[in-house]
Amino acid sequence: MMLNPILEPGWLNAILPEILLALFGMLLMLLEAFAPRLRGIFAPITVIAIVITAWAEFMVQGGTFFGGTYQLSPLTRMFDFTFLLATLLAAMFAREYLARERIEGGEFYALLLWGTIGMMMMAKGLDLLIVILGLELLSICIFVLVGYHRRLAISNEASLKYFLMGAFATGFILYGTALFYGAAGSTNVTDLARFMSTASPSDPMLTIAFILLIAGLGFKLALAPFHAWAPDVYQGAPTPIAGWLSVAPKAATLITLIRLLTAMMPVAEQARWTSILAVLAVASMVVGNFVAIAQRDLKRMLAYSGIAHVGYMTIAVLTVRADAVAAVAIYAITYALMNIGAFGVVSLLQKNQNDAQTLSDIAGLGFRKPFYGFALAIFMFSLSGLPPTAGFISKFYVFKVAVDSGHLTLALIGILTSIVSVYYYLRVVYYLYMKEAEDLTPVASGGIFSTGALLISIVGILLIGLYPTPLFEAGAQAAQTLFMNR
Amino acid sequence: MTNPLSFTLWFPLLGAIAIALIPRRQVDLTKMAALVISLVTFGASLMILQSFRDGEPGFQLTTSVPWIPQWGITYTIGVDGISLWLVLLTTLLTPVVILSSWNSIHKHMKGYVVAMLVLEFAMIGAFVALDLLLFYIFFELMLIPMYLIIGVWGGTNRIYAAIKFFIFTIAGSLLMLLGIIYLVFLGYHSQPGSPSFAITDLYAMSVPMHAQVFLFFAFALAFAIKVPLFPLHTWLPDAHVEAPTGGSIILAGVMLKMGTYGFLRFVLPFFPQASARYAVLFGVLSVIGIIYGALVAWVQPDMKKLVAYSSVSHLGFCVLGIFAMNQTSIEGAILQMVNHGLSTGALFLLVGVIYERRHTRLLADFGGLARTMPLFTVFFIIAALSSIGLPGLNGFVGEFLILSGTFRSHPVLATLATTGVILSALYMLWMVQKVFFGPVTNPENEAIKDVAWNEVVAVVPLIVMMVWIGVHPSTFLKKMEPSVQQLLATVNSRRDEPRVLTTSNPASPAVVRSAGFQPAVSLASSRPRLLSPEAGRMPAVRPAGSRRSETAGASR
Repeated sequence: MMLNPILEPGWLNAILPEILLALFGMLLMLLEAFAPRLRGIFAPITVIAIVITAWAEFMVQGGTFFGGTYQLSPLTRMFDFTFLLATLLAAMFAREYLARERIEGGEFYALLLWGTIGMMMMAKGLDLLIVILGLELLSICIFVLVGYHRRLAISNEASLKYFLMGAFATGFILYGTALFYGAAGSTNVTDLARFMSTASPSDPMLTIAFILLIAGLGFKLALAPFHAWAPDVYQGAPTPIAGWLSVAPKAATLITLIRLLTAMMPVAEQARWTSILAVLAVASMVVGNFVAIAQRDLKRMLAYSGIAHVGYMTIAVLTVRADAVAAVAIYAITYALMNIGAFGVVSLLQKNQNDAQTLSDIAGLGFRKPFYGFALAIFMFSLSGLPPTAGFISKFYVFKVAVDSGHLTLALIGILTSIVSVYYYLRVVYYLYMKEAEDLTPVASGGIFSTGALLISIVGILLIGLYPTPLFEAGAQAAQTLFMNR
Repeated sequence: MTNPLSFTLWFPLLGAIAIALIPRRQVDLTKMAALVISLVTFGASLMILQSFRDGEPGFQLTTSVPWIPQWGITYTIGVDGISLWLVLLTTLLTPVVILSSWNSIHKHMKGYVVAMLVLEFAMIGAFVALDLLLFYIFFELMLIPMYLIIGVWGGTNRIYAAIKFFIFTIAGSLLMLLGIIYLVFLGYHSQPGSPSFAITDLYAMSVPMHAQVFLFFAFALAFAIKVPLFPLHTWLPDAHVEAPTGGSIILAGVMLKMGTYGFLRFVLPFFPQASARYAVLFGVLSVIGIIYGALVAWVQPDMKKLVAYSSVSHLGFCVLGIFAMNQTSIEGAILQMVNHGLSTGALFLLVGVIYERRHTRLLADFGGLARTMPLFTVFFIIAALSSIGLPGLNGFVGEFLILSGTFRSHPVLATLATTGVILSALYMLWMVQKVFFGPVTNPENEAIKDVAWNEVVAVVPLIVMMVWIGVHPSTFLKKMEPSVQQLLATVNSRRDEPRVLTTSNPASPAVVRSAGFQPAVSLASSRPRLLSPEAGRMPAVRPAGSRRSETAGASR
């Protein structure tokens, strides 16, 4: 191994977003320790941190850093923005949630920011070890955040569940990585790609390695059959965290999966690894959509619907095409807007964390609380993929990619299961507007942060739904960069 | 917006947004504003009529703006002779609906009129969209307000009806979405360049036969559910019975026509060979629908259900006319779409009027209304006669054109369908007799109030239009004729292409014959005629297309 200077010029700018997030996280921890009276401004500080980080994303246009282990490109920037958007929305919803539950604290926001660093590392890592490092950083933050409501048994249970399952998942990923290292002699994705171009597709070790990797990543994605934790964890986690958890880590895992699949492409196709993914995608769409029908609790329903949505995105991933990357990126942004928004409304309706919001609790809400009702209706229409919302555009894109690459059957299954999904999304709208209210206790109005977050989500959904062109341009540009150094 | 079409399309949406800002307590202001907005929209649509140039087959008043250039999706709108009258029907029925709902909507008036105006926007959009994805977006957008109208303002079993309506429709349209993606993919594949969703580009493309069959059924299913064609009609009686009066009028008057319009605009010209192959299947299904709908209507105890089942029967005529695929029958089908909108719209409106007064729609609860509600009786009987197809009213012209056109290609189907006309007289007159004549059996009907001012104002324009179409149909036929000719030319010129992906092949009628389809007008002789300049000046048929059938018959 040559001992080149590892720090290329510009390395500091390359990780400036991560550094900023880390510093702001530390600042919040210090404020919590030394100036707990400033708790009221922790959320604004988090918002400022995110805005500054978003600005810092533009400091480096692209390139590879740290000895070929860390890649910056328009693609990673697009995903970084998705993570930042998710964290922004979660933090804005969390402020009022935490105040209501009287558990405000700097560490909550700090963990959110640090978890975001983990996701950024997963998106940018060109080396499996960097990816695992990011994944672990993210996982540790999630363990704590899920159990953040530490006096509630349900929150602790969720945290423990996620911890035990997550530990296994990480183990699988490490095993898979070790096997790839054994075969290719490197954990670097570029080296792996070079090895794969000559590797034999019939090598069972490679297939075992891939299956181990998929089992681990599938857990993070809540892809069926690795999904069982999701409903329980979402139910127990602080509601804004549940929303964040249902979107951001999945996006980070998907970009990792795309990167790996692209690197392993000739073998992945010939050894039918994409077929494995196709089976998982179909299982997710079927399980997610059918089981969601039986759910009365909104958070559990959203958990199952999330399983189905990952199934749709996996269809695009397994085609391994340039526009599939764009489709997943746009889907992730859309999903962040609509799903965190939906969890946000649930969080605003709850009286406390134990107050499960079932369908009958939201009866008549559309007329009792028009703004929340309208917002939830928009999120549901978008989740079910009806025009003119962003959900339609992103679903259309995914199915278009599937048809264009010859996966007509997968697209057909996707369409058929979406028809099923319309039923349970629509049922929410039915309770909102067509059912008389049973519980007439007034719903408290949210403050400026949650209203702002809802507005961002609604405007974003409609904007992407009506004029997606700029996002498509960004997506197309981003997609090209994934295939750049194959 | 100098283009009246753009104005007609967007004004209802802008109006809906403006009304959404009116405080909720200002119910009267809300109603007035909605009425004014819908009337201005209607006025603008008359401007479309004025600037519409007769004799031009193509799309007019077009506006095109790039929208999603990466996928070749544009915002393109325009009208031709096929969509023109449907747009006008929509703009006419919306103020009628708002007037009829003046006192009959008791809760959330603002939400109701906003939903109606958004619905109008979506319906006009679907009729004028010249980009396949744009059409699809409008097509789906219609569902949301209609779902809310049925579900929030409907009758006792409204939830079941609303969800059934939604799930049925979306099941069809999502499969169509897959079809759209696949169709555009094929187009992109056969002619590398940039993909295009423009309807005119897709018209020029020929689809290989194996793909055509799949695509034909993906599209046809969506439209057949919407029409609804037997056996996919089961959502319709539920939706109609539970919907508020205004919802029923719009649903029957305009939304069902999305299905028949879709067949004409997309299914026939996109997949001519598959359409020809399955024309008999669809003809048979329509005839079953005509007879079955009429028989079921006959035994209904509930007036609204009776009218709902009569829609199944009447729409069967439209689909039959479309799949007979000749000039007369298709013109008849388009006219019948408008006719059905007028007569069924009026019937639903009038049934709503007595329901509002008596809170029942059962035939058994009425009798002798002719004495207590004379004016109402006159309106109702005119609407019923129009629906039956009495000569001099609109229904006759449409049904006659459809039947005489169909007779030339499928005499058996036409004959069977004619029984539907007789049956419709049977059930309609049965209802009229039960409700209006005889002694006043129920004392509650003694003090019933006759029609109010808003109901008169709402129903009179519909009656005027019924008479106009019945007496002088050429006003309407003349404008649709060139477009229908062009449609048939597109269909015929591509129907005999060999089933491979090529463009511009010499006609070979043998291929068509081997497909087992007996063309309506013999191709070899008719195509030159259809494309010749004389064809454009073919005299419009009045009163009932007898001359056309002679000329076309002579050409065989």
